[in-house]
Amino acid sequence: MSEKFHSEMAETKQQVIALGHLAVSMLRDGMGALETDDTDLASRVREKKKELSDQVNLLEEEMYRLIALYQPVAKDMRMIACSLRVISSSERIGRYGKDIANVVLNTASDTRFPHLITGLSLPLMADQVISMINDSLEAYETEDLDLVASHSERDDDVDALRHTIFRDAITYMMEDPRTITKCTNYLMIARYLERCGDHACKIAEKVHYMVTGDHIDIR
Amino acid sequence: MSETTIITTENLNLWYGENNAVIDVTMQIPDRRVTALIGPSGCGKSTLIRCFNRMNDLVSSCRITGMIEFHGNNIYARDADPVEIRRKIGMVFQKPNPFPKSVYENVAYGPRIHGVKDKKKLDEIVERSLRNAALWDEVKDRLADSAMGLSGGQQQRLCIARTLAVEPEVILMDEPCSALDPIATSKIEVLIDDLKKKYCVIIVTHNMQQAARVSDYTGFMYIGKLIEFGDTTQIFEHPREELTENYITGRFG
Repeated sequence: MSEKFHSEMAETKQQVIALGHLAVSMLRDGMGALETDDTDLASRVREKKKELSDQVNLLEEEMYRLIALYQPVAKDMRMIACSLRVISSSERIGRYGKDIANVVLNTASDTRFPHLITGLSLPLMADQVISMINDSLEAYETEDLDLVASHSERDDDVDALRHTIFRDAITYMMEDPRTITKCTNYLMIARYLERCGDHACKIAEKVHYMVTGDHIDIR
Repeated sequence: MSETTIITTENLNLWYGENNAVIDVTMQIPDRRVTALIGPSGCGKSTLIRCFNRMNDLVSSCRITGMIEFHGNNIYARDADPVEIRRKIGMVFQKPNPFPKSVYENVAYGPRIHGVKDKKKLDEIVERSLRNAALWDEVKDRLADSAMGLSGGQQQRLCIARTLAVEPEVILMDEPCSALDPIATSKIEVLIDDLKKKYCVIIVTHNMQQAARVSDYTGFMYIGKLIEFGDTTQIFEHPREELTENYITGRFG
């Protein structure tokens, strides 16, 4: 019976990893659409929302089924706990990608101030956050905790970037009030990216729990 | 709440002939807690709890070294009285084994052979024991009926009542629910949770979920050795030993 559980769990884990990659692709493409004002790409990101939500529901139900049928303990239980965290964080990350795509669709007609995005370091912040999420997902897959060992420092960098973006955006808005609409949207996006970084840390905490059984707090 | 140790073993070894069935077991069992022993068949868990009330004395090829103390007294000392030890450390077995007598006589039997003759006193003991075994309401109108007519779950609770009747301090349970259906099992588990308020309960079970549900402490045994002993939550969430982890997650073999 345990062999059946372990083989079903291994298969479900691969689906959870795929869900994580779907969420990352939504975030990455949302940012890509933002940088290039690509409304087609933004629309495709928005269309992925249903796939994301369907997968989340399906995998959550699968986790509950595994718990109900097998009552896993020890490492098996910790893997389920970690997987549930990966699922819920992936849903949030994917939805932030969709929210960024919505900003693109709402603001793409305004082609003024194209320098703002890079001026505000949003692509740099997105790269850092996506790299953290990818490392968390890889750690979940491989159980290699080295991949998430510096998440606390990396998250500090992301938080610092958000503060920098906040200050820079205020400067832009003071210099030219016509930038206020775009800058306000970009400040929201910086906030989304910061939250995605937090989700990367939350996944890392649960991966640590899955592998070692110890709870850690990544600040 | 502070805990006091009621049974201590030190370097306990038991041989059946040449077979070393219990190997160097050192453990402390707390009073008024439920301690579960888990492990694969033949790992020595039943043999170990049978040492606690000297049930293995009845096996001719059995030899024991090391020490078992009950309240600090060596139960294998020359002057230790096995009958008195078995009164204080009662046992419930895998299959319900009521005497082919009435419900009342099953419970009154123990106190009677320990010298209680007064009918009123016996009535009190029978009622109290049956109440403590959560059976009174189901059998109070059929005390004179044969115990063999009770359901399996009721018979097992009757055996628990029979154990309680002689006022033990420790109740050993050797797979007490393995012959019962889930509802009867649930009743016994609720009862175990209640019994620990007054007694130390030590339960051997093959059902790991049961160990997780009912016990405060869990010991995992493998080929005669106590591999790991600890808080039940710790054992089932994060066992220290890989062998324990492999067993409870079914990765054995």
